[in-house]
Amino acid sequence: MAKFHLRQGFLAVLAVGLMAAGCQKNIVVLLPNPDGTVGHVTVANAAGSVEMDAANTATTIRDSETIPSTPAMMEQKDIENLFGDVLERQPPQPVHFILYFEKNSTRLRPASLTTLDDIVAAIRERGSKHISVVGHSDTLGDKPYNLDLSRRRAVAVKKLLVGKDVQAESIQTTSHGEENPLVKTADNVGNAQNRRVEVVVR
Amino acid sequence: MKCIALAGLVTSVFLLLFASKASAAEFAGFVKSLGGQATVLRDGEAKEAAVGMEIKAGDIVKTGVDGSVGLIFSDDTIITMGSRTEFVVEDYLFEPLEGRLAFVAKILRGTISYLSGQIEKLSPGAVQLKTPAATIGVRGTHVLLKVEP
Repeated sequence: MAKFHLRQGFLAVLAVGLMAAGCQKNIVVLLPNPDGTVGHVTVANAAGSVEMDAANTATTIRDSETIPSTPAMMEQKDIENLFGDVLERQPPQPVHFILYFEKNSTRLRPASLTTLDDIVAAIRERGSKHISVVGHSDTLGDKPYNLDLSRRRAVAVKKLLVGKDVQAESIQTTSHGEENPLVKTADNVGNAQNRRVEVVVR
Repeated sequence: MKCIALAGLVTSVFLLLFASKASAAEFAGFVKSLGGQATVLRDGEAKEAAVGMEIKAGDIVKTGVDGSVGLIFSDDTIITMGSRTEFVVEDYLFEPLEGRLAFVAKILRGTISYLSGQIEKLSPGAVQLKTPAATIGVRGTHVLLKVEP
C-alpha cells in the first residue's frame, strides 16, 4: 500500500516536472482533405522546423528544445489506434447554398426553389440550430438602398424556411448589401449572380 | 448627494466597460457534438458543456476520461477533441469584409483533429495551432495532433 502511494507520488512529481520542462511528446499527422486534396503543414519550435505536404505523414516532437523528427509515413492502423475515436466523432462539415433573386426584388428565381428544399433537407439531416442567412445585392442603385434590399432578401429567405417548419430561433440573418459580390463589377451594374442570399447550414 | 453621483458614475463606467467587453467577444463557434463529460472554462468560471453552447475566444474546453467534443466555428473550421483533452481558443477573428482574420489555438494535452475553414483560405498564415513543444502552421488541410500526458 505504502509502496503504491510512493509510486503514485513519484509519477505525479514526474508528470509535473515533465510538463514544466515542456517535455510532453507531441505527434502531428497530416491527413488528406475530405475532397482528396492535401494541404501543407509547418511544424516549428526553438530548435528548428519541418515541412509536410504528403498525405498520412507524421512528425514527432520530443520537447520544445528538440527539432521535430523528419516526417515519415504513418501506417493507417497506427493513425486508427491513436486518433480513431476523434475521427469517428468529427461533426459533418457545414454546407453552403446560394439562392438567386429576380432583379430589384425579394422574389426567388424559379431554379432556386429546389435549392430551398435542399437547404431544408440539410437542416433536418444535421439537426442544425446554427443557420446563417446572408443577403447580397448587385451594384445597381445606391449603397443604402442595396443594404436594405439585401436585408429584405435575407428576411424573405428566413420566412420561407420558417414556412417549411425550420425554427426561427435557429436562423441568423445578416446583410452585406453590394459590398461582397460573387462577381466583381463596376458600380451601378446589374448582375444576376450577385443578386443572392447565401445560406450556411452547420 | 455628491457621493451618490460618484457611485452612479462608477457604476455606469463599470457597466460601460462590461458591455463593451461582452460585445467585443463575439460568438466564434459552438458545440455541435458531445460525448461523455466536458467543461468550458470562461473568465475563470467552469460550465458543463452542452450541445449548442457557444464558444468564444479565450475559452478553455476540457474533456473528461470518456469525453469528446465536436466544435464548429463560424468560418467552417471543425475541431474534434478526444478524451482527456484540453484545448484553448486563444484568438479568433472572422470578419472577412474588414479583412480581420485569425485562428490561434493551443492544445495542452490529449488528441485533436483540425479541419480548416475559410480563415485559412482567405489568409494563409492566420492559423496557428500551438502545442507545448511546437507551433503548427497549416495551409488548407486536415491535421491530427496528439500531446501525450
